[in-house]
Amino acid sequence: MHRSHLSDDRLVDVCLDKAGYPAERNHLDTCPECAERSAHLSRMLADIAAVTVAEADAAFSVDRLAKQRARILQRLEQEGRAGRVITFPGNLTQRPSLRARPGMRWVAGAAAAGLLIGVFAGHLAHVVVPNQWSGSPTQVTIQPAGTTLHAVSTTLSEEEFLGMLEVAIEGTSGASLRPLDDLTPLAWEVAAQ
Amino acid sequence: MLRQTPRRMSSPATAAGPVVAPLSRDSELAAEVKALVLAGKRDAARERFGELVALLQRRAARIAYQYLRDLHDADEAVQDAFVKVFTHITTYREELPFEVWFTRILVNRCLDLQKARSRRLRWSVPAPAIGQAPPLEPAAPQQTPEERLLSSEQGQRILAAVDQLPERQRLVFTLCQISEQSTNEVSQTLGVSEATVRVHLFRAVRKLRGLLAAER
Repeated sequence: MHRSHLSDDRLVDVCLDKAGYPAERNHLDTCPECAERSAHLSRMLADIAAVTVAEADAAFSVDRLAKQRARILQRLEQEGRAGRVITFPGNLTQRPSLRARPGMRWVAGAAAAGLLIGVFAGHLAHVVVPNQWSGSPTQVTIQPAGTTLHAVSTTLSEEEFLGMLEVAIEGTSGASLRPLDDLTPLAWEVAAQ
Repeated sequence: MLRQTPRRMSSPATAAGPVVAPLSRDSELAAEVKALVLAGKRDAARERFGELVALLQRRAARIAYQYLRDLHDADEAVQDAFVKVFTHITTYREELPFEVWFTRILVNRCLDLQKARSRRLRWSVPAPAIGQAPPLEPAAPQQTPEERLLSSEQGQRILAAVDQLPERQRLVFTLCQISEQSTNEVSQTLGVSEATVRVHLFRAVRKLRGLLAAER
């Protein structure tokens, strides 16, 4: 009499679902070959669980777990405390005012005038110097068409900055840069070489 | 002993009415912590929460480590998950298993850390240690049973095979087979249908079976 065995996929189903598949379980009770295959699969799953658990347990020793617990409780203790407010900029009341010392007005006025002169001179230097270099063959001006640059806050965290870079590259506006990005080696690839 | 004891307690049948499964120890503790926080007794709540941490910490570390494959990231994920649970404990609903709620927070934190790590790897040169096996504790003269198992040929083959699983399959496999959650609990944890969990689990086992059989 021909007796069909359970397929490999059905065997996996039976092993994963401890309660279901009554017909297949009946078959396992009467077919030594399939029962042996099922036992082998169960042993494999048990071995995988044992090895992966051992790996994590070896990494997280008892000492490390104790330190981790202490750190968690320490963070929770700090969680409820109000932040300490530091006065800034220092004690304003003790700072000498310009009204109290009239001589300081002249010093402040001279400093402001010096600053203005410096800014004006710098502006003049920028206007005059490029004219002397106007014939330079190596000077290249890049003006991407249709691209608007937005001012970016300097207080971005590293995470936010990297996130914005990702979004800019993933977006449609960065599609033209994609070939360039593909040609450019990644920093970690260069380091690996 | 590597495997955990079953989390759900069997409930004795009573003639009075429908059998209600008693809360597991972690759910009980979480309910106590919530009550203490609501009563304004934060110090006592923290103390009780320490017990809850001790109860779930090992399991949480296993999940995070299996998912992130990095000791420091896993450590950070576990810490952050526990801190987040405590700060949001008043939103915990006692009728649900605490473990499912906690695991969901932990897995979300792992996902966040993984995204941050992939961004960093893209834009920066990693330290030489990254990508290598995580450093174990200083070698003891006598190997522990876990270390002996890991250093065996069979252990190495199994770890290599698990590493080849796609991310989603590895997570589902970890939660079902290593953390011993039911497919229903995993579906609640991950916010996907139970059928999806079964498909991922089935594929993971089939792939592992193929990988381990091919290497023989």
